[in-house]
Amino acid sequence: MQKAERIPTIALKTHLLARLESLGLSPLALTLLAILAIAPLLIKDEYILHLMVVSLFFGAQAMAFDFTVGFINVVNFGFAAFVGLGGYTSALLAVKLGCSPWIGLIAGAVAAGMLGFLTGILTLRLRGIFAAVMAWFVGLALMALTAAMVDLTRGMLGLHVPLFLDTTARRPYFYILLPMAIGTYVALRTVTNSHIGLAFRAIGQNLGAARASGVDPTRYKVINWTLSCAFAGLLGVFYAHFIGILTPDVMHTKHTVEVLALSYIGGRGSLWGGLLAAFLVIPIFEYLKPLMEIRLIIYGLLLILTMIFYPGGLAGLFQRIGELIGRQREKPEPAQ
Amino acid sequence: MELSSLWDLVIIGILRGGMYALMAMGLALVFGVMNICQFAHGEFYMIGAYMAVFALKVFGLNPFLAILLAMVGGFVVGVLIERGIFYPLRRRSQEEWVMNTFLLTVGLSFVLQNLALLIGKARYRGVPTYWKGTIRISPTMGVSVDRVIGFLIAIVTIGIFGLFLRRTQMGRAIRAVSQDERGAMLVGIDLDKIHTLTFGLSTMLTGIAGASLLPITQAYPAMGAGPLVASWFVVILVGLGNVGGSIIGGFVVGMLQTFSYYFLGAGWQDTVSLSILILILLFKPSGIFGTEVKGILER
Repeated sequence: MQKAERIPTIALKTHLLARLESLGLSPLALTLLAILAIAPLLIKDEYILHLMVVSLFFGAQAMAFDFTVGFINVVNFGFAAFVGLGGYTSALLAVKLGCSPWIGLIAGAVAAGMLGFLTGILTLRLRGIFAAVMAWFVGLALMALTAAMVDLTRGMLGLHVPLFLDTTARRPYFYILLPMAIGTYVALRTVTNSHIGLAFRAIGQNLGAARASGVDPTRYKVINWTLSCAFAGLLGVFYAHFIGILTPDVMHTKHTVEVLALSYIGGRGSLWGGLLAAFLVIPIFEYLKPLMEIRLIIYGLLLILTMIFYPGGLAGLFQRIGELIGRQREKPEPAQ
Repeated sequence: MELSSLWDLVIIGILRGGMYALMAMGLALVFGVMNICQFAHGEFYMIGAYMAVFALKVFGLNPFLAILLAMVGGFVVGVLIERGIFYPLRRRSQEEWVMNTFLLTVGLSFVLQNLALLIGKARYRGVPTYWKGTIRISPTMGVSVDRVIGFLIAIVTIGIFGLFLRRTQMGRAIRAVSQDERGAMLVGIDLDKIHTLTFGLSTMLTGIAGASLLPITQAYPAMGAGPLVASWFVVILVGLGNVGGSIIGGFVVGMLQTFSYYFLGAGWQDTVSLSILILILLFKPSGIFGTEVKGILER
């Protein structure tokens, strides 16, 4: 009797694990996430908490960025502008119309997604590099516009944005961002695991072959681009109501480069690599802050070296280690 | 609006366009020959300007020699970077070359800019004028001699460079590689040498631009951003890799910017230029003079 009862539980457990795995949440990832979720409860230092929020923010951005660059192999070089657009949309709604930031989350994502869709259908039928450069131009134009429309955005003076909560303590913000980041990851992973994701990969790896098997590259690329931009906008809204002041500088290309470097160091096409890289790189660089420019030079060199010598990034490194462990385990078997 | 001020705008546009043409030519060359989308182009402009400052302030050279030094310096730095970064990458993997090198130049631009910040500090350095005086071009407006000489330097450089590409053995080799790399290799052209030379020449052109505009835009670490965007704009407008077209394109963009700045003011200027570019690409994705240079639409 007891045995009969246990079997369904085991079946349920394996079923559940498989479901989680398909969402990209392996036991290891779940453990790490759990640590990440609990850690802020134990940390009292506001500064470290702030660093954690910033790392998580950049990590989430790197995931949304990697969704395009790692799968359809197009760089969204105006990424920061989409983040900024999301932020400004929500901020203006809050300031001018008194909308709640929670509604702003949706509005910001929709606005960035719509602009992403428009840029996408105009540029993604061209070769990847064109889309990258055009996205860059769109970003520059958006930044210039934001700076020029002083009546609406207060331009360079900066727009004061109401915060999400009445407090400036960092811990609650972490718990606002964490579900957003996990949600972003799970959503993007669900897409990449579906047949749409297969099409993305096919386009990224071999366009000719993808086309020959009946995949319409432009259509899938636009889907991918729009989604990535929408998530960028969503994260931008968080940023706006977290920092409390917005200047056109958020759209600057240098922020795109930061996200780009993270997702490359993390490993292209892995999604989670960028998050890991953010939690490693950002605290280290914060620690190195007294070095000033040298720090940024190291950052650039790191990007260059990763590109030349280790294109797989951190994710590639982990895979290598995983393979090595796997081989170690297999070794004893032939001996038996 | 009076006719005379319209005329003034045209002159300003042309003067501005000369430099854009010079820079865009280098950009087009590097893409045509090496398939690299140079994002660190503006940083070589900055290096040129700093070289000129160095020559003027430390050695007390005259402006022409300063520009010459910037030219040589630009070439040397370009060659070193090609050998140090792109050569190893080319050896290791040619996969996704266009995208990877683009990102590599992004990293490079980051490094060079911060290196300049480290060495030169966040200060504007420059000279008030190279050559004193203004030239009256119309009753309402005078143009400084610096601008005119800068423009002449650009035109002469473009001319000499054009002759170099057409008439010399090396220039022909460069063009051959841009047309067909494998064919060029078969007739015995040393590809590595040509790649290095091309990169050096392109950074040299940019260095000249930076140095000769020093009285107008002073040297500071982030000075390359504006010229970079402008020259990319030209290159996309005329079609990637089209060296001849980029000369005309430089003047077109110079005009476009001057006019949109005058009529719409800063801020809207970028939006207008962008909209025009998108419109052109909608109807003619390969640019206004586009021949199908190495495939503009998906491979």
